[in-house]
Amino acid sequence: MSVSLLVPILFTGVSLSAIYILVALGFTLVFGIMRVVNFAHGEFAMMGGFALLFLLDRLAWPYWLALPLAALMVGVASLLPERFVFRRLYGQELPSMIAALGLSVVLAEGGIILFEVHERSLPSAFSGLIHIGGFTFPEDRLVVVAIALAALAAFWLFVRFTRIGLALRTVAQDREIAEAQGIDTRATYRVTFFLATTLAALGGALFAQIYALSPLMGQVPLMKAFIIVIIGGLGSVPGAALGGVLLGMSESFLNTFYGASVAQFASFGAIILLLVLRPWGLLGRPEG
Amino acid sequence: MMTTRVLAMSASAGVSRARWAWLAAGAVALLVWPLFVNEPFFLHIATLALLYTIGAASLHLVLRIGHLSLGHAAFLGLGGYTSALLTTALSWPFAAAFIASGLVPAVVALIVGPIVLRLRGVYFVLITFTFGEVVRLVFTEWQSLTGGADGIFRIPPPHALLASKRAYYYFALAMAVACVGVVARILASQTGRFIDAIREGERLAQSSGVPILRFKVMVFAIACGLVGLQGSLLAHFITFVAPGAYAFNESLNLLVMNVIGGMGSLTGPLVGAVFLTALPEFLRGWVELQRFLYGVVLIIVMLFVPGGLVELGRRTIALVREPEGRDA
Amino acid sequence: MRRTSRIVWIAVALVVLLGTSTGWSEELKVGAIGTLSGGGTEWGLALQRGMTIAVDEINAAGGVKAGGKSYTLKMVMYDDQYTAQGGTTAATRLVNVDGVKYIIGPVGSPPVLGTIAVTNPAKVVVLANGYSPKIMTPESKYNFRVQIPTDYFAPAVARWLRQAYPQMKKVGIISPNDAVGQTLAPLHVQAYHASKFDVVFDEKYDRGLKDFSPLITRMMARGAELLELDGNAPGEAGLMVKQSRQLGFKGVIIQTGGPGLEEIIRVAGPFAEGFLSYDLFDPTDPTVQGYVKGYRAKYDGPIPGISVMYYNATRILHEAFKKADSVDVEKVRAALEKLDGTSTIFGPVRWTGQERYGIRHQLLHDFFISEIKDGKVRIKARVAAGE
Repeated sequence: MSVSLLVPILFTGVSLSAIYILVALGFTLVFGIMRVVNFAHGEFAMMGGFALLFLLDRLAWPYWLALPLAALMVGVASLLPERFVFRRLYGQELPSMIAALGLSVVLAEGGIILFEVHERSLPSAFSGLIHIGGFTFPEDRLVVVAIALAALAAFWLFVRFTRIGLALRTVAQDREIAEAQGIDTRATYRVTFFLATTLAALGGALFAQIYALSPLMGQVPLMKAFIIVIIGGLGSVPGAALGGVLLGMSESFLNTFYGASVAQFASFGAIILLLVLRPWGLLGRPEG
Repeated sequence: MMTTRVLAMSASAGVSRARWAWLAAGAVALLVWPLFVNEPFFLHIATLALLYTIGAASLHLVLRIGHLSLGHAAFLGLGGYTSALLTTALSWPFAAAFIASGLVPAVVALIVGPIVLRLRGVYFVLITFTFGEVVRLVFTEWQSLTGGADGIFRIPPPHALLASKRAYYYFALAMAVACVGVVARILASQTGRFIDAIREGERLAQSSGVPILRFKVMVFAIACGLVGLQGSLLAHFITFVAPGAYAFNESLNLLVMNVIGGMGSLTGPLVGAVFLTALPEFLRGWVELQRFLYGVVLIIVMLFVPGGLVELGRRTIALVREPEGRDA
Repeated sequence: MRRTSRIVWIAVALVVLLGTSTGWSEELKVGAIGTLSGGGTEWGLALQRGMTIAVDEINAAGGVKAGGKSYTLKMVMYDDQYTAQGGTTAATRLVNVDGVKYIIGPVGSPPVLGTIAVTNPAKVVVLANGYSPKIMTPESKYNFRVQIPTDYFAPAVARWLRQAYPQMKKVGIISPNDAVGQTLAPLHVQAYHASKFDVVFDEKYDRGLKDFSPLITRMMARGAELLELDGNAPGEAGLMVKQSRQLGFKGVIIQTGGPGLEEIIRVAGPFAEGFLSYDLFDPTDPTVQGYVKGYRAKYDGPIPGISVMYYNATRILHEAFKKADSVDVEKVRAALEKLDGTSTIFGPVRWTGQERYGIRHQLLHDFFISEIKDGKVRIKARVAAGE
């Protein structure tokens, strides 16, 4: 394989991985801590895209301000369904999953009613091309990779070094012990959901920036999050990172050398194999 | 899941005489109305509703063994394609193709069942979802056999006599009664008690000597065979099969029928199937809002009436009978 | 009780009065079928809009006048969920409950096949599109295809490309792995071969793929100089344009299908510069400008190509009513078949398809090749579709 082919493949893989991890992280977090399979996760990503579009296009805010704010707006808004839907169903795996399916339909179809169904792109803050050593790198993707990495680092620092982060980890490990230690699980759930949807919204905003934005776009991030958490282990944060890299890179390589259909069959095949042999994923832990 | 248990208990509490009277009245109504209203569109919708009761009831069986499948449409598709291919490409008589359309999904279920049914909870949901996507991809990719994304067109009616909507309605009614009857029979038998025992406490059931996995695989295969039969009946009714009709949405649809109708008893999916087939036709005026409302209904049912329409009906009847007993 | 019943009677009387006062013109229901939920909603809405504009125009100009009577058109639309079953259900309802004799739509092979399975036996006229060869057969006496299919326009576009780019050799094709791509890609390969191009890359992807960089990278490694975007949805086509330019692809990009130029500009932004596309109409044409104005007055966003197609279908149906001087199905169908030469938003149209499908129900007209220049759509050439 020539280097001329390898560099763009790797670069595509890195940019795919970065966005995938952002979206999958929240999905796995919500499951790990709240035991909710959030089928509406992709729709929060979609909302991130529209929030960014609104801030950039209507209010003409500068990009650096608009991006984090868009993500935070969605995070705050997501506390409503957390309060009125999920909180009432905590601890009930299947009912909460079905309610999440309903929420996903409501948000996507609500998006169609509000924004119309067609695909659009965000006003491009970065549309240049950067040439390094004979290779071309689009600016927008470089920016996306940088932001995603920064967000992931911030998330890691938060979970590792803050009191709330410690609470999150404790609840994820054992809810009953955490409660016995005096940790307010409901508050933890709220923080978790907020963090998860904010990350998803950020991922969605970046996705909308380099790909396209439409009310129905949530399905793709959700599918990817599914695949990633199955690879990495449902509920495992390092697993989401590993799964994201594996999926991003393998998609890039397989699509290049064998075509899109093979890539899709391969990723589904891998999931089925993993679910059968190691349902808790590469880095998850088996349930007692 | 408290409600599930309560409803299941009350359902098996013995079939009362009043219930038989209701069933008889319902049967007469189903048989007689087309004689007065020979309206093709109502017959069309009624036929669809009857056919979907088969799929919804079969998924109910899977739910009763404690597994939530998001890939049931794959088996619907396997049945539809089997029947379509055998009658068009190989010119088999319908009866033979129909039997095959039940056997093929059942055999596939026998093969994948032992693998996937080991998984519980979310993992089963995810693997059935993935399985559904794989089957849909195979329908799309295997162009030489399945006609690719275009599908198979001009599937003949099962019999020349069944070309009219009214005739097909009676045919569908007979088939739905037979298929749902099989499910009801299973649930009412010794097997049904095993099923509930397994769902409520797998370890306990195991220690009492039930070979759980083998048992689950058997129930799963029967359920998939039944939905395959629906696939065949639907294919010959619509005269067309294509991969798009067996995508995730259709699996979701079958699940939602169970959820909205109520997962506690067999009545739930039947009510759900009828309700969800007819509902879009009532919501035509708000065609853009249709799916939005569908989502809203799902959430509301989960939050306030987890027993679905069946529970809602029960509550209403209770309210009408004893209005004071509201807080009971 | 008595008061309510009186109110009801007054209401009834009012309705009757209103009905008779405007009642010089009868109502003529025209059915519409399109996807209004889930994936494909874009097309259903486009159809709804194009048809609404046409219906409003026709009614504003006094409605349909035929056989000494005047009819106001009323559009009745149902969702097909982009499945054959949905098409069948919608058509059954239109035909039996609403008593419709004419249907515009649906969009896309599965619902069209579902629809015509109901409408042909019921002798209901359908004006729709759909790529599937099974839509046009000698038995399909009541359905017409109002979109030029690829086997008619692709060879003409390839010939034009041969002349415009005499040294160009290698072509890459990327298409969706659905009914559109599976049917059309082979037709493009055939058309390019006939004009002495080499197809070095012919790849399909499944719905949901948004990053085409890997596919484009491989296509570039094979040395393709021209990228053919086939019948991709505008969103995906726009992404492919953007991503191939970002990867440094310098060749020609053309979409012999679609069209959705405005949408592509929206998605690809500055990268859309120089993009070529098969196009249905000339935006400088005054009739077209009338349509554009009508659309902008009602709706936001880019004007989808599908909306124009079904606007045109509704107008053609209106022409047939006028020509037949009747709203009787058989007479209108006969008049439709004799519409050759009628001037429309797409210029003069005619029917074809006798040799290819055994029935002359395929609409044909000249078309255009448009280019995106300085962010605007410009007509580059006018092409006559080949037989």
